[in-house]
Amino acid sequence: MSNATLDGKSISSEDAYEKAAEILQAANFPLVAGLGADVAGAQAAILLAERLRGAFDHLASRDSLADLEVVRSAGIFVTTPNEARVRADLVLLVGPGLTGYWPAIFDRLALDKETVHGGKTARRVIWVGPKRGEAKIDGVEVETIPATEAELPGVLAALRARVGGRPVALPAAAAKKLDAAAEALKSARFGVAVWSAAGLDSLMVEMLQGMITELNATTRFTGVPIGGRGNATGVLQTSAWMTGFPPRTGFGRGYPEHDTWRFEASRLVESGEADAALWISAYSGEAPPWEDVDIPLITLGPPGSAPKHGLFIAVGKPGENYDAVEFAQETSSMVLRRASAPAELPTVAEAIAAISAKFSEDLPC
Amino acid sequence: MLIRLRGGHVVDPATGVDGVADVYFEDGRIVAPPQGREPDEDYDVAGHIVMAGAIDIHSHIAGGNVNSARLLLPEMHRSIRARLDGTPLATAKWSTFETGRLYAQMGFTTVVEPAVAPHHALQSHLELGDVPIIDKGALTVLGNDDFLLAVLRERESETAIADYVAQTVQATGTLGLKCINPGGADAFKQNMRAFGLDEIVPFYGVTSRHIFKSLQKATQTVGIPHPLHLHMNNLGIAGNIDTALATIDAAEGLPMHLAHVQFYAYGLEGKNAFSSAAPALAAKINANKNITVDVGAVMFGDTVTISSDVLRQFNSLSGAIPKKGVIFDGDANGGGVVPYAYRISNYYNAIQWAAGLELFLLIEDPLQVFFTTDHPNGGPFTTYPELFALLMSAELRAQWMERLPADVLEMTSLPSIKREYTLNEIALMSRAGPARLYGFTDRGRLGEGAVADIAVYKPQKDKAGMFRNAAYVFKDGENVVRDGVVTRYTKGKTLRVRPGYDRAIEKRLDAYYDELYGLSRSIFDVPEAALAGRSVYAEVACRN
Repeated sequence: MSNATLDGKSISSEDAYEKAAEILQAANFPLVAGLGADVAGAQAAILLAERLRGAFDHLASRDSLADLEVVRSAGIFVTTPNEARVRADLVLLVGPGLTGYWPAIFDRLALDKETVHGGKTARRVIWVGPKRGEAKIDGVEVETIPATEAELPGVLAALRARVGGRPVALPAAAAKKLDAAAEALKSARFGVAVWSAAGLDSLMVEMLQGMITELNATTRFTGVPIGGRGNATGVLQTSAWMTGFPPRTGFGRGYPEHDTWRFEASRLVESGEADAALWISAYSGEAPPWEDVDIPLITLGPPGSAPKHGLFIAVGKPGENYDAVEFAQETSSMVLRRASAPAELPTVAEAIAAISAKFSEDLPC
Repeated sequence: MLIRLRGGHVVDPATGVDGVADVYFEDGRIVAPPQGREPDEDYDVAGHIVMAGAIDIHSHIAGGNVNSARLLLPEMHRSIRARLDGTPLATAKWSTFETGRLYAQMGFTTVVEPAVAPHHALQSHLELGDVPIIDKGALTVLGNDDFLLAVLRERESETAIADYVAQTVQATGTLGLKCINPGGADAFKQNMRAFGLDEIVPFYGVTSRHIFKSLQKATQTVGIPHPLHLHMNNLGIAGNIDTALATIDAAEGLPMHLAHVQFYAYGLEGKNAFSSAAPALAAKINANKNITVDVGAVMFGDTVTISSDVLRQFNSLSGAIPKKGVIFDGDANGGGVVPYAYRISNYYNAIQWAAGLELFLLIEDPLQVFFTTDHPNGGPFTTYPELFALLMSAELRAQWMERLPADVLEMTSLPSIKREYTLNEIALMSRAGPARLYGFTDRGRLGEGAVADIAVYKPQKDKAGMFRNAAYVFKDGENVVRDGVVTRYTKGKTLRVRPGYDRAIEKRLDAYYDELYGLSRSIFDVPEAALAGRSVYAEVACRN
C-alpha cells in the first residue's frame, strides 16, 4: 500500500517522489520548512535547500530565536539538566507552563532529593509566575512569586533590580517578598534558573540572563533552557555547523544568508516570495502556519497527517518508527533514540533522497 | 590507476629525502617506482615542492563549544561568494564544510579536534562527519569529571583509572586523552575563581597535579600512542611561566604534550608587569625531551576564543570584544566562548605574538614543537601560511616588529633571533612530527605504503601565498585541489584508537550513572549506527 496522497487521493510512492521533484525543481525560490526532523533528516533538508537555492526555517524557530537573540546580543550562562540535578541548591523556575513544555522536568531535576555534588543539602525552589495550581511538586516546598503573563516582565525586572540592590517602586509587601527571593538567589551556592522560551520573549530571557550575570559576580548561577518542539534545538545545532547560522537562512545567492524576518516561513509564503514549499513535520504532523495560500505544497509527515490539498508522503516518526539522532532535553546533548515501534516507512532523509534522485540532470549538484 | 608526480623537489624528512624525485601512487597509497610500467596519469611538478599532506595536531573545528561560537557571532562570518559545483556549503563561513575546504586548500589532510566532552561526543562526531576531504581525529577530555575525581579521592588502584581512561577513549571514538585545567572547572562550579597546580578541588581533596599525573600514567599504561595532552592551569595570566616550568618538572620524565604553550610564556617584567618568558620556557623544553608542545601562536585580527577551561573563559568575559560570551557549566568540563581581537598596537597582544614566534625559534628540535594557533584561540588556522612565512624569514619578522609598540621589543628576545626555518624543518614540524606524536604510521611521510595524502606547492617570493594555495593536493590519491581551488569533495575518515580494558569497569559505570543521574549510561553512547554514512572510522594501533 502506498503511503502517498495527492489532494487526498492515494498515489504510488514513485509517482509522489517524481511529482515532488518536479515541483521543487520548477520553483524559483522553494522553501523547506517545518523541519520537524531528526538530525539526518535536517542534514538532508538543509542540503536540499542549498542545492535548490531556496530557504529553510523550523516550525519552532520563534522559540529557539527568543533564546538565541539573547545569546548573540548579550551572551548566556547555561548548564545541563543533569548538572542541575546533582548540584543545584537553588532552582528558580521562570514562567508558566514549564511542565507542558517539558513533562519530565521534575523527574529529571530531582528537586525532592538532596544535592550530590558540592555538598549534600536540600534544595530551595522558587517559581516566578507559575500557572494557577501548577506550582505543586511532590515532596518539595515551592515558594512562589505570583505574576500573570502580563506582569511577568515587570516582576522579573524588579527581581533583578533587587538582586543588584537597586530600588523598585512596589508596595512594601511585594518588595519584601522580592527582597527575600533576591537574598535567596544571592546566597545560593550553585543556582539554576529554568525557563522555556516558548512561554517568554527575548527581553524576558535577557532580563533573566542579565540577573544571572550579576549573580556570578559573587556566587555561581546559571541556567537550563527548555528547547522548542520538533527537535528545534537539534535542528538549530545541525544548521549551525552546516551553514554557520540557525534556521531562517536562505541560499538565493549561492551562499547562506541569515535573516530572521526575511526567511521566516509564513512571510515567505504569504508574500509570494516562495513559490513552492516542502513542509516537514515528522514528529507530530503539525500543519503549516500559513493560511489561505495556494502554492505547490509537499508534506512529509507521519501516516494520518495528510492535508486535504497538495502532495503528501508519509514518513516514520523519528525515534519511534526508526532509529534517530535528536537533541535530548534530559541530557542537553545529541543522542540516538532507538526505535520503540519500528515501521516500514521511509525516514525523512530517505524521503528527501528519493525526491532528489528524481531531479533532472540539469540541476547542478 | 598509477599516478606519477614527476620532477618535483620532494621534502620528506621521514624518509630522508630532500631533493628532486618522482612520487608514484596507486589505489590511494604511495608505491615504489614500478618497473616497466608507464603511469596512467602524469603530473609535471618540476619546480614545485612536494610534501606529505600536513597534519594539524590541535584545532577546535567541531563540537558543542565550536557550534556555540558560530551561533554567538553571526556578524563575524557573513558569507560573500557562491560555491562551485560539487562543493555544497564550501563557502559557508565557519561551517564544517568550509573548514574541510580551507584545510585542503593549504595542503592539510589530517586535523585533530582536541576537546571532545564525553557526554557530547556524538555531536562532535556528527560535526566531524560533515567536514569533507580531510581525515579527522579527536581527543577526549577528562580531569574534571566526578567519577575520576572520586576514584582519586578514594585512592583507588591505578588499574581502575586505566580501565576508566581506556573505556572512555574507546567509547568516545578518539585518539587519546586531553586534560584541561585539571580540577579547575569543578572548582569553578564551587565558586573558586583561580586554580593553580597545587590547589585542592573542594570535596575531592585532590590537586591539579595529582589529577593530570594520574591521567598521564594511565595513558601510558593502556598504550595510547599520544601522550596525555595537557592544557595547564593559569592560562593567559602574567607570570604563569612558573606554572609551566613546574608542570614540566611534574611530568618527571614521562611523555606529556603541553597544549598552546605560548599562553603560558608570560613573565612579570617591565612597567606593565607583562613580558615574554618564552626563552625560559624554550630552554626548559630543550632540556626535557619527554615534553612536546604546540605553540598556540597569536596572529593579529578578530577571533573568538573557545575553551573547555570554563574558569579561564569566565575570567575573560570582561575583556570580550565584542562584549558577549557563552559560559557553559557542563557535566564535567563545560566550556566558554568569548570573542576577542588581537591588535598589533596592543602591548599585551604584541608580546603574545612575539612569544609565540620565540618558542618556535628557540625550541631546537622541530619534533618537539608543533604548529598551532590553537585555532581559533590565537587566531584562525587560515593564518598558518603567514606563520610559516614568518618562521622562514628573519627579514619578514623584522618588518612586522617595526609595527609593534616600541616598548614591546624590550620585553622579548625576538629581535635577536636570526634563525630561519628550512622547508625540511617545516615538513618535520607539520608532517613527520605530528604523525609520530599521534602514532600514525600511514601518514606524515611519502614512503612506500603511506596513504597518498600529498601537497604540492609552487615556490614564490610570497611564501605565505605558496602555503595558502597549494598547486595540487591529493587525498587518498585523489586530486582534490588544483591551483588553490577545491575541485571536488571526498569523504575523509575519523581516526581512533581502541585501547583494551577490563570490562568490569562497564558494569561499575552503569551502576554509577543509574545512581547519580537515574539514567542509562547508554544514552551517551556514540553508536556507529548514529553516524552511518557520515563518518567512517579508521584504527590507529595502540602500543600494547
